[in-house]
This record gives sequence, structure tokens and C-alpha cells, in this order.
Amino acid sequence: MSIDTIRNSVNGDSTLVSWETWNRIKHTERFVFLSSVLFVLLFSYTFGRAPVISGIFRGYHGLAMTILIWSIFALGFNLLLGQTGLLSFGHAMFFGTASYAAALFAIHVYNEPLVVVLVGTLAAVALGVVSALILLRLHTVYFSIVALAIAQLLYFLAREPLVEITKGINGLDIPRVALLGIIDLEHEYSGLVGTLLVNNLYIFIGVFFVAVVALITRIRKSPYGLIFKSIRENEKRTAFVGLDVWRYKFAAFILSAAIVGLAGGLMAVNTQFAGVERLYWSVSGDIVVMTVLGGLGTLAGPVIGTFVFFYFKGIVNGFPALGNYWLLLLSLSFTAVVWIYPDGIWGMLTDFTVALRDPKELVAKTKQRLANLLPSGGER
Amino acid sequence: MALLETQGLTKEFGGLTALNNVDMAVEAGELVSLIGPNGAGKSTLINTITGQLSPTRGDVYYDGTDLVGMKPFEIAQLGVGRSFQTASILPELTVRENIQVASFAAEHGSFRINFLRRRDSFEEVQAQTDDILETIGLDSEADSDARSLPYGDKRRLEVAIGLATDPDLLFMDEPTAGMSPAETEMTVNLIGDLLTDWGMTIFLVEHDMDIVFDVSDRIFTLHQGELIARGTPEEIRDHPAVREAYLGGGEEA
Repeated sequence: MSIDTIRNSVNGDSTLVSWETWNRIKHTERFVFLSSVLFVLLFSYTFGRAPVISGIFRGYHGLAMTILIWSIFALGFNLLLGQTGLLSFGHAMFFGTASYAAALFAIHVYNEPLVVVLVGTLAAVALGVVSALILLRLHTVYFSIVALAIAQLLYFLAREPLVEITKGINGLDIPRVALLGIIDLEHEYSGLVGTLLVNNLYIFIGVFFVAVVALITRIRKSPYGLIFKSIRENEKRTAFVGLDVWRYKFAAFILSAAIVGLAGGLMAVNTQFAGVERLYWSVSGDIVVMTVLGGLGTLAGPVIGTFVFFYFKGIVNGFPALGNYWLLLLSLSFTAVVWIYPDGIWGMLTDFTVALRDPKELVAKTKQRLANLLPSGGER
Repeated sequence: MALLETQGLTKEFGGLTALNNVDMAVEAGELVSLIGPNGAGKSTLINTITGQLSPTRGDVYYDGTDLVGMKPFEIAQLGVGRSFQTASILPELTVRENIQVASFAAEHGSFRINFLRRRDSFEEVQAQTDDILETIGLDSEADSDARSLPYGDKRRLEVAIGLATDPDLLFMDEPTAGMSPAETEMTVNLIGDLLTDWGMTIFLVEHDMDIVFDVSDRIFTLHQGELIARGTPEEIRDHPAVREAYLGGGEEA
């Protein structure tokens, strides 16, 4: 594959790599992997420190790390909603529980970042198994609402009855320790590494981000990726070709819980803290907004959605005068994007790049979109 | 022993008896058709056999296994395939992917843990998918989205998905409904191929009486949930009860 690709671009009669070759390359696992590495390498710098660009973004390193972690969360959530078609309004349960499990383990048993993140992930998987047994009996809105109910149940449990363990609204503090006992996560580099990545904590989070992107790419290219989509499209048909829909949904749920749990564990390490607000329903709502805004069912979509969400929450929030209305501005942007582009920002970008190759199609598509926006004579 | 056998199969919806004591047997390798006026219970019969509905009373045996209480995917895994009356396809997936899903089910069973292995490395699945695409004549459309197909092609894809599950017994629910004459002819030819080359047993529900009388080995006639007649096409054509059921008209086409 890669040799062919090179040959094509070398022997091609034009100097440009043809669109067809590009379409083939961009879906290969290697390309996705390298893109995610490049993204991690450049993201914090572009967002927080690059001349001019960072002045527009007004970003900072800490927010870049938060966005990477929440991107993992959104990618895990998207595996369930975008791929399999199951809308959970309670994914905060995995994020919050993993955070607590990581913190409790670090405080009471053993504190090492890698182990702590792993414990958080496993806790989310355990919770995933239990909640899936309840939730996968339910369909559509009942699935969504009962997921929300379970997450809220955990929130109230953590807040009051279990206050001895969770410290309630005060939360748990985790002392910072070295990775594997030797690598200081807060160590700041100088030179190029320092310019791009700043510190070991960013690298630690970045490696997990790349690993999750690689894992999800592989899942999407495996039989599961196809069968998840098949369930999303037509559950009955999927059962009638002989597939055990329940087990595949269970697998999707557990994989999603594990990835979200990983994000929760990383969040505990990153902030040296675990608190009850990570279980709160608004977290579950935020992740839906991020994923849908960015583009359901895609890889880049959830990451872009997370970025835009935190741009509003972390940057627009600080603007003079406008800052107080960041949530309103976000809602307006969300409504506008999803109204016109149901496939989110990523869908919008994809449309634009297609249009760049064929301007006629852009005109036709825009006309059609505008036509779709107008009410079509009491159809519903 | 018959491949498929129902004994006293009864399905009631509240006070309505949709199926009443249906006894029938289908032998391996034959093509049987089920006819009957609208509302006779044809779809209920298929749904009850394939596990979508559970019978109120009675038994269904497939190759000696009692199907009652089994889930649709378990019945499909035994080798009972099904194509639906309305094109029940996966609209956002490509034609090839539609067939691939069924091929995975046929080759790998109902569930397997293989989410870390790329699906293009499963050669037997790819081979079967290509085979079905060619058989059904959709290979030129393989990479189109299923939703963009014309109606007749969607119906052919529906049949293709049923075929890709590699069944020994295939239920075809009005496979030619909405097809052009050319497509209908192609489907009839396909049915012939399935019987002779693939060694399948086919259970056909069809409204086009010309097709039914042309291809069937035997015909069951269902009327108000009861089997009122069974026999060869010749026997059914002149059967008084069948004529009565179709309101005196010998043909409905």
C-alpha cells in the first residue's frame, strides 16, 4: 500500500498528488496515527505560545492538556453514540467514578500515575458492566434517561452518604509523584521540546491521546466497526443476519466506558484532584454537545468539538463584556452549525474541501441546504 | 424427516387468532410458496418461525431443533435466512458493507472478540462478499451507499443480505414486489440458481401468481390463519377452497 502510494505520487503526471490517492491515504491507519502525533506535537504550541496564532486563540498550556483529556472522553462517548447509535445522558458516571477510583487508590493504596490511571479505567469498566446489564434492556429515550438517573444516583451518593470516603464537595487531593518512580511529570524542558511540549505531563497525556486515537481507528476498521454501524442503522436486520446484537452493544458500551474511564483517571492525575462535580449531569450534557458539535461518528469531530467547547468556556469566557455570555454564544454557534450541518463542524469542513475541488457542487449543495432550511409545507 | 416442520402452530393477538393450528412440513431442497389474501397471516407465520414473534401454542422444528423460544439471531445461525418484504437494508453503509455484515455473521458466528483485527484481513469474508455481489449483479454498485440505490436494486440488495448469511433454508417475503419486469425475471432466475446450484430450500411468499405457479414445487394456501389447501401448483390452481378464498377469482395477478 505505502509503496504504491509513493509510486503514484512519483509517477503521477501532475506535480500534485491526485485526490484519489489522497482519499486512499487519509483513511490508512498510519496516516491517522501520524496525524494524531503531529497534532499532539503542535497543539499546545499553536494554541498557547506560537506568535500571532496564539494571540488570536489566547490559549495556554494548561487548557491544552484539559482539551486533550476531554477529547479522549469525547472519543469514547462517540464510540457509543456516533458508531453504535446509543445516546447515553449519563457518561459522567464513568468520568467521575474513574477519577474517584484513581484518587482513592493513590491516597490509600499506591500512588504512581500510570497505575492510578489504569485503576481508574478498570473502575469505569466495572461500572460499565453493571450499568450495561440494566441499560441494554432499554431502548431509545429510556436508555438515555436511565443512564442519566444512574449517573445522578452516583453523584448524590458521592456527595452525601459517602462523604467519609469522597470528602463530599471538598473532593480528594492527590499528591504529585514521579512517573514510574523516576520521571518528574512537572519537569519543564528547554529548547525545541520545551517550546512544543513544555513538560512531561503533557507528553504523558499526549501518549494516551495518540493511543486512544489508534485504538479507535483499529476498532473502526475491525469487524466491530462495521457491526456497530450496522446496529445503528438497523438493529432488527443485524439480528436477522445472525449477529448477537446484545453482546455487540455490550462490547461497545464497555469499550466506551473504558476510554471515558481513562480520561477520568488522567483528569485526576492532571489536576491532582477528584471531585463530585465530575459526576454531575452537566458533564454528561457537555460531552453530548462537544461530540455532536464536532461531528458524530468521525474521529476528528469529537476532538474539534471539544476544542470549540473549551475555547468558549476557557477563552471567550474571559473576553470583556462578551465573556458573561459565553454559554449563550456557544449555544447559538451550536444551533447554527448543527442546523445547517447535521454532521457538525467536521462535516462542514469536509463539505468545504470537497467544494474546493468542485465549485459547482458547492453552489448546488448550498442551494439545497438553504432549501432544506425552509419549512416544507407542513410535512410533519 | 422434513427440514422445517410446524405442529399446531397458533398465534393469538389479544382476541384475534392470526394463526390457527398450522401444521406444515418443508422438505430439504424444495421450493414451497405460501399464498393467501391480504391479512391471511402470511407474515405472522414467517415472523413466528424466524423468532420475531413467539407462538401462543405449537412447535416449530428446524432440522430436529425446536425453534420456539430461540432468538432471531440464534435461528439465523442455525441456517435459516430471511429477506424482508420491505427493503430492510443498512442505508448509510455501502452495498459491499451491507453484504459484509451478513458474511461476518455467516463465517464467524453470532459474536466474536476481534476488535483489534482489521476486517480486510478476513479473506474468506471478502471472498464470500465478492461472490454474493457477483451473483446478485450488484458488483458495479459495490461502493455506493445503499440508500442511493434505485428501488429495485434495494430489493436485490435485501435478497443479497439474506443470501450472504449462507442459509440452508431461505424465507423470501415478496422478493419481486416493486421490481421492473426485467428485475423480476432476474430474480426468478436467481431463485432457480439458488435451488439447483446452491442446494437451498426456499420458502417463498409472493403475490405474483404467475411466478408462484411457475417456480413452486408445492404451494400452501393460508386463509384467516388456517391452512386451507396444500399441494402441487396443479392441485392448488383448481382447488375450490382456494378459489373461494380469493373471492371466486382464480387468479389475483
